[in-house]
Amino acid sequence: MLVSFGYRPRGSLIEKLDPRARWIFSLLTLFSITSFWDARFLAFFFVLTLGQYALSRLTWKETSRAWLMIFFLMGMMILINTLLTSGGTIAGVITGGRPVFQLDGTIPLVNWPISFSLTLERLWFALCQVLRILSISLLFVLIPFTMDPHAYGSTFKGMGFPDKLAFSMDLAFRFVPTLGRDFSTTLDAQRARGYEVEKAEGGIFTQIRKMAPLIVPVTMNAILSGEDIVNAMDLRCFGLRARTWINNLRYQWYDWLYMGLGVILLAGSVILKVVFNIGGFWMPF
Amino acid sequence: MLNKMFKKELWKFGTREVVFAAIGAALYGLLGFATNMLQIPSAGNVAIRPAIVIPMFFGVAFGPLVGLITGFLGNIIADLLSGYGFWLWWDLGNGIVGLVPGLVAGMMVSYKGVKDIALAEITVVVGSALGMFVASVSEMWVSGLDFAAAMSMNFVPAFVSDIVNGLILLPILMVAYSAVVARSGR
Repeated sequence: MLVSFGYRPRGSLIEKLDPRARWIFSLLTLFSITSFWDARFLAFFFVLTLGQYALSRLTWKETSRAWLMIFFLMGMMILINTLLTSGGTIAGVITGGRPVFQLDGTIPLVNWPISFSLTLERLWFALCQVLRILSISLLFVLIPFTMDPHAYGSTFKGMGFPDKLAFSMDLAFRFVPTLGRDFSTTLDAQRARGYEVEKAEGGIFTQIRKMAPLIVPVTMNAILSGEDIVNAMDLRCFGLRARTWINNLRYQWYDWLYMGLGVILLAGSVILKVVFNIGGFWMPF
Repeated sequence: MLNKMFKKELWKFGTREVVFAAIGAALYGLLGFATNMLQIPSAGNVAIRPAIVIPMFFGVAFGPLVGLITGFLGNIIADLLSGYGFWLWWDLGNGIVGLVPGLVAGMMVSYKGVKDIALAEITVVVGSALGMFVASVSEMWVSGLDFAAAMSMNFVPAFVSDIVNGLILLPILMVAYSAVVARSGR
């Protein structure tokens, strides 16, 4: 099986930034976005994250899979949470409202009462949800496509993670292609013995049990080769001293500027929310 | 036996744990991605995600930290391979699914005894419940879901899928691993 990460160098502006700065900015902005239910602030974050996304030079073809999943989940969330549930409050944010559509009745045979009310406030809240979810998605969807997976180890080490944990992360990304090849070999070998994973036979339990001839050999082989790697690393005295990393990350002035923007956004959001009590749900009409 | 049980350092993170956490994460990421690609037929709305057994098994076999990293990092890798972006709260939830079974790693004797398997199966249920609860509740904060919607839309499908896969596949992996343990003497 050909296993490849979505990353490829595109020479975009966003790739020039230090990966640590990008993680820090993304997390600070995530916390800033989640401080608001006011559409005006959410629209600001939407434009900001859309601008960053535009700088990444990603194409629809590359990211369509992720976006289709996000749109589907977002649609489901909004439909179920905001429009269909007619309870008193949504997420503790809004209560009641002015109805634009009302449906009252009973379910035949069982006589269960139905009362559904779609209010103007619910519709506006749905728009806020769209802005909020899309802003967060724009922030995080681009990371796998614009950040080299082989730099994750040194990135997390540079962010203060312990040496061993960062090395474990680095090692995991290096194991993926090898394990992908092993998986492919095992699948072919089992198929040669008559194993049919795609065959729709039996219930869900049978389908899951049918995965064992694939998962067990791949996992046990990986563990056995892992024992050899442990021995080799122990022989080389792994973990006795602090490690050095081949790709040495160094902040540039624009990284500080980028992180500074993240700090300002978060500080501003906290001040607006806590000190001035601004940013809660807001209705324009 | 008890002596051996307590001698195992549950929270140790040495060379062995570094390597097996990396292998577990790579395996979970890869199998999660590969089983999506294979389009395994499933019943109703319950998606078959058999790879979830990997963090549970690595937790039981190598301890809570290995289980945590396997679930957390493996989910990141699966999303990277599938091009789904980063969803840190779901990564954390998957990490907990691996961490909880790891808490009984020190109590494992043979990996194929009824007591060992029963203990591991209990942690599968507890770990899946806790991990998916944390991830689902995070959606309330991120997406503005109310509690009922977060539970019905996120928690229930993810929890059911995780425990069904875990309860069936974990004992199979544990029995296979007992042979590996006997062979390597670790």
